[in-house]
Amino acid sequence: MKTYAILIDTSYCTGCNTCSYRCIQEFRSHTQATNGLFRTFVAINDGGLYHKRCMHCFDPECVKVCPVNALSKSEYGPVLYDQEKCIGCQSCVKACPFSIPQYDEKTQKILKCSLCAHRIAENKEPACAEACPTGAIQFGESKAILGKAKEIAKKRKMTIYGLSEASGTHTYILTIGSPKKAGYIDVKKGVPKIKKSSIESIGAMPIVAGAIIGGLKKLEERKRKIAEENKNKD
Amino acid sequence: MADGISKNKDLTRRDFLKFVATTGAIASLSSFPFKNLEAQAPFGKHPQEKPIYQIKKKIPQVCARACEADCAYYVIVAHDPVTNLERAITLEGRPEDPVSNGKFCIKGLAFVDSIYDPDRLMVALKRTNPKKGTDNDPGWVTIKTEDAVNEIIQSLKKFKPEEILMCSPGDPYTNKLARSLGVTRSDQRTECFGTHYYINCLTLTNPPNKYYSSTYTPSHHVAGYDYDNAKYQIWFGFDSLSKCGKAGMLVHWKNAKKNGCKVVVFNPLRTPLADAFATEIYSIKPGTDLAVALAMMNIIIKDKLYNVKFLKDYTDAPALVDMKTKLTIKTKEGALMAWCETHKKAEPIDVCHKPVMEGGPYKLTIDNKEYEVKPILQYIKDTVKAYTPEWASKISEVKESVIIKVAKEFANAKPYAFIPTYKRDAAGPNYANSWRLRHAINILNTLTGSIDHEGGVILLHDVKIPWLEDLAKPVKPYPEQPKEPVDFRNMFPVTDEIYKNKDFSAPGHYGMVGWGLYKTQKTKAVFFRNPYRGLYAMIQPQMVEASLEKMDLVVDWNLYLDDIGYWSDYVIPAPHQFEEGKFDIRLYYPKWPCYVGGSPVQKSPGDQIGWGSLAVKIGMALAPEYWTTDGSGDPNKRVPLNMSDHALKNAGIASNTAEFMNKGGFWINKKKYENYKTIREIGYGRPNGRVRMFIDEFKKVDFEPVPVWAQRWHDAKGEYKFSMLITRAPWIMHADPNFINNPVLRKITEKNYMDCVWINQEAAKEIGVKEGDMVVLENNPEFLKELPRPVKAKVHITNRMLRKDCVLLFHGIGHRAKNLKVAGNWGYRDGDLIPQKDPNIVKKHDPTGMGWVEDVYVSIKKA
Ligand code: SF4
Ligand code: SF4
Ligand code: SF4
Repeated sequence: MKTYAILIDTSYCTGCNTCSYRCIQEFRSHTQATNGLFRTFVAINDGGLYHKRCMHCFDPECVKVCPVNALSKSEYGPVLYDQEKCIGCQSCVKACPFSIPQYDEKTQKILKCSLCAHRIAENKEPACAEACPTGAIQFGESKAILGKAKEIAKKRKMTIYGLSEASGTHTYILTIGSPKKAGYIDVKKGVPKIKKSSIESIGAMPIVAGAIIGGLKKLEERKRKIAEENKNKD
Repeated sequence: MADGISKNKDLTRRDFLKFVATTGAIASLSSFPFKNLEAQAPFGKHPQEKPIYQIKKKIPQVCARACEADCAYYVIVAHDPVTNLERAITLEGRPEDPVSNGKFCIKGLAFVDSIYDPDRLMVALKRTNPKKGTDNDPGWVTIKTEDAVNEIIQSLKKFKPEEILMCSPGDPYTNKLARSLGVTRSDQRTECFGTHYYINCLTLTNPPNKYYSSTYTPSHHVAGYDYDNAKYQIWFGFDSLSKCGKAGMLVHWKNAKKNGCKVVVFNPLRTPLADAFATEIYSIKPGTDLAVALAMMNIIIKDKLYNVKFLKDYTDAPALVDMKTKLTIKTKEGALMAWCETHKKAEPIDVCHKPVMEGGPYKLTIDNKEYEVKPILQYIKDTVKAYTPEWASKISEVKESVIIKVAKEFANAKPYAFIPTYKRDAAGPNYANSWRLRHAINILNTLTGSIDHEGGVILLHDVKIPWLEDLAKPVKPYPEQPKEPVDFRNMFPVTDEIYKNKDFSAPGHYGMVGWGLYKTQKTKAVFFRNPYRGLYAMIQPQMVEASLEKMDLVVDWNLYLDDIGYWSDYVIPAPHQFEEGKFDIRLYYPKWPCYVGGSPVQKSPGDQIGWGSLAVKIGMALAPEYWTTDGSGDPNKRVPLNMSDHALKNAGIASNTAEFMNKGGFWINKKKYENYKTIREIGYGRPNGRVRMFIDEFKKVDFEPVPVWAQRWHDAKGEYKFSMLITRAPWIMHADPNFINNPVLRKITEKNYMDCVWINQEAAKEIGVKEGDMVVLENNPEFLKELPRPVKAKVHITNRMLRKDCVLLFHGIGHRAKNLKVAGNWGYRDGDLIPQKDPNIVKKHDPTGMGWVEDVYVSIKKA
């Protein structure tokens, strides 16, 4: 099935944080934000704009380490989090190479972007992307988004953060110059591990077929399959 | 709720699945760009795939008071899982709005949450402890709003009109109230728009004009900018951090970038806005932009790079100036004269077919009197001759080659080249020479012919919202205004003339009103219709505080009890802006005639009174003859107030506002922009209106009629060597509790160091401070002679500060009222360092009488 991704062109971003606030309203997470916990936050740094948000890795460390499967990689892209299952052990907090999951001491739960999975299902783009006044945040099918990221990067000599960091992610952040300068964490790079599933998708199949295939598969099965595929490759 | 909202967007998730199942045709959902939604729909099992709230209503609204753009959007009302209430949750865009293009910003979003701010004022308060100030318990008693208003009316009766000051922007109600009572109206918009407004009045249009609307002046623009189609822009400190969050402008700057517009920025601060949209950024010494602008004028005129046709046909460039008096020569009818190249004589400018724009002096005899005259363009050429790029470079510290290059590129991109200026940029009311810069900018925009041209400075046209006086003419002239108003505006005839005789909603003179209140003790009663701003928004509020302590009556109409309340006798609760209906024109992108409306999201939950109702009540009680159609004072004959009904009916759009809102609250006529049409209708000398570059009015008060170089007021002296730059965090506006009392915004501010003062590494080294150290800032006592109040703040060291002789302060924080749980005692107050001005000093520098809010050098020491 098709997968989705986010593109952030920081050369269009002014740090207004409309995206952050819209996200907070979407999730009614004002209390967490008051305590400094954000699903997404834009820091106006000297070297550029740092968007601290989940990268939705192809092969997420947080998913691997979570002892209770509270985190899962969906087949259409987002790394999802089930707060009911979460025991607050903070393994993901420590494991995430991007330092993304935030631990809320009050609720003893995690806060992390879901790529607005509920909105994707509701025929809407993620709240932050819809709100961004400059169009710096764009959402769409991974293939198209990656194509766009590559095109812009080539044309305007920008770097794509998230392309090969942690062996690939569903978030592509375009920066002028080194992403590190703007505040992005230096994460080990690797060749994207998931061959077809995450970014290629069964794009050639007719939509209806895609629906049937997609519809029949359970998340857990999918997860197992991905794990298997990865093992085979290693 | 408006009709015309896509039904699809209102589908609940279950409906949606049903819809998908039955039709199986996702592609028919036009707004959905992702083709295989069917694949996800069955997945919706994960808790994070479940909808969070259920949308119940989408209510059209128009942003107000969060910035000047006034985006139109929908307020989304939904069932909120957190509070279990049906409430406003967030916003959704209106793509058809030419200003916002379907976007909104973080401040608009914050308005949604401030509806429910637990600190909102719900009841009227009356003071029992006469001792005023934030350190004293006012001993509030709650009182019915109606009773409070009646008591205030009784008190007001005791004062003479000249003893009352109305602190309020010039909305139609305030105007009518202040005029009918014969009291002075003054407001702090001077610090936002004053210079822009007055220079536009003097150069572009002489109010009132054909499109002079009751919503035209609150944001003080007849002109918007067609960024979308521009090819070249120069930003003189235009890219403040506060503009980083103005969606109604960002969407257009984004389009400019997409279309390859070149943007050159001069700013001592490197903003993320410049990072995003500037092609070139040059550091400049604060307060010297005027030098660069003058040198650009010099180059463009000397090399004849200007737009000849525009100058001849649509400006005063060919008009003749008497070299002796330095005033324009006019016919008996008041028309400008031009020198005809063919007939070798002076002719009325609109009659002359071949006017010269350079050369002279020409000799002229009128009524046996001889004159030596020159065309205005030649006059300007002579004036700016000495302002070479080399000269400007020495003053501004911008390279000579840059000035030459930018001037030529700018002129060559004509008429798609302009210099935009809004609120607090270098051409705003910031320095003692800013009015000259603003004037120079209008001349530069005139030289390229960008005024009233697509891709340039576009003018409001074909829409009008009448004033209350247009609906019912007062039965007799309003009483005389006080002869010596407390803000000293009478000492500034250039602007006083506009305020008194042309546009009563013109900005007041807050830069001096504190001085007047403190020094003259003429005023006994002050009425703040000053919602959401409070004392902390003012310059040198300590002077206002000291004078309010002695005042007989202070009233504040406000959404919050904020620090001004601690000096008030009554605080009257105001409704939230989303609890009001709206009707607006699109000033910030006036390319197409457009009206947009908003409906109340809810009824005010407490004992609030709207401003219109309050003004009518006071007006009917104290000046009934002006508030009734026949002057009888009979409550049944009250003047009509339905300005929007009239606007809609006159334009043939709807018979009234209710009908308009039922249709969706939006109307636009997307016709092609007719270049140089509106300037004919609203410019000087209409019906053949022109842009004026030469301002006789300045000469009449002994200033040059065209811009010349002048220093700023302050100069660096000894330890007072840091030029104070002021901005706001992108999510804070107007020092307004709607934003600063929002705990999330406070967090975002702190995480971005915008509760600190910013200096660069070099400056930090010089004064020996590290990141996060506390410092004390002080103004030079030579300039701030009375009531000094040093500012203590945390330091943030950043290379965004391009010069070591500057410090950046963030406006809006520094609230002292203890009752506001988030805003109270948070941060510092920039205004404490900015002196209220002695009008005699202002008079020497600035005939418009502005406040020069950044004309300050401070010392910085480790605390
Ligand atoms: S809303 Fe857009 S411009 Fe604003 S901070 Fe987010 S990405 Fe940047
Ligand atoms: S970025 Fe971190 S939290 Fe997000 S998916 Fe990857 S590992 Fe998990
Ligand atoms: S995708 Fe949704 S959850 Fe993630 S940052 Fe954007 S608004 Fe927040």
